[in-house]
Amino acid sequence: MGTENLVRKLPNDIGGDEAGKIERVEHVLLPWEKRCHALADVLDFHKIINTEEKRRGVESLGAEMIGELSYYERWIVAFANILFQKGILTPGELAMKMSEVEGRFSDVPSTHHN
Amino acid sequence: MSDHHHHDHDHDHDHDHTPITVDEMPSYFDLMETAVRELLVERKFFRADEIRRQIEVLDSRTPALGAKVVARAWTDPAFKSRLLENGRTGCEELGITFYDDTQLIVLENTPEVHNLIVCTLCSCYPRPVLGLPPDWYKLKPYRARAVYEPRSVLEEFGTSIPDDVEIRVSDSTAIIRYLVLPMRPDGTEHLNETQLADLVTRDAMIGVIQVAYNREAV
Repeated sequence: MGTENLVRKLPNDIGGDEAGKIERVEHVLLPWEKRCHALADVLDFHKIINTEEKRRGVESLGAEMIGELSYYERWIVAFANILFQKGILTPGELAMKMSEVEGRFSDVPSTHHN
Repeated sequence: MSDHHHHDHDHDHDHDHTPITVDEMPSYFDLMETAVRELLVERKFFRADEIRRQIEVLDSRTPALGAKVVARAWTDPAFKSRLLENGRTGCEELGITFYDDTQLIVLENTPEVHNLIVCTLCSCYPRPVLGLPPDWYKLKPYRARAVYEPRSVLEEFGTSIPDDVEIRVSDSTAIIRYLVLPMRPDGTEHLNETQLADLVTRDAMIGVIQVAYNREAV
């Protein structure tokens, strides 16, 4: 049980692992999370990113990001990476668009920026 | 989404004017979602209203749909056999549309077999008939343990399955989804289909609990 386990089991492949008690947590999706879910479906309908590509995109974020990011945070980062890989978007374009969107909130005190 | 709360009101009151919808800076990931979506819309990969429509579709999917399917299966043996033959077309008979390419396999609980569904790799779930999965379904403890110690997992949900009953765990995939057809509880012979559907919960169709009927509570 050393480094070989990193090869045998990718981060998503957790069936059969030891794990703690099941905490029956649930939450109502935040507006952006629901939009992100709808985005996933629309990307699938248009055959831009299908469900398996999405799953693989999340897996390739690596164990640390998978562990730290929330569910829909993983999705949106995976979508961005896949769109870069497919040459549909570039990182520069996304960064510029994100600053533009952020600018719309310029009169809002940036209280929590995680 | 950031609906500003504009309304005229007099100022003879002393509460503070914090708006009901607090406009705060969206998180990094919220910004990223908006940016990705807007870029793709600008480049005509899809239209903005497709996202809005899909949000409506997502909002329209709740466990009540699955409950309707279960109640019909309990009351109509011919429907049940068609449903077990092909879950997707069975649900479609009741007007439930599948907005994705997934197939649905309906797993019948019997006195000999109890079924449980999971997605060990991610969060695959019969969304067209149950809506979105609860968080615990997507988190590690359930995904990791359901496949090797289902009896302990079920105990944590307060469900005791006798040792002589086989537990079958079905692991969902991107294209194959499962729905558990729970056992109809005893003492429900006098209930109609709508009343039966009211007894059927999301967790029973995941297989972590059984459908209960408490005559006095009804």
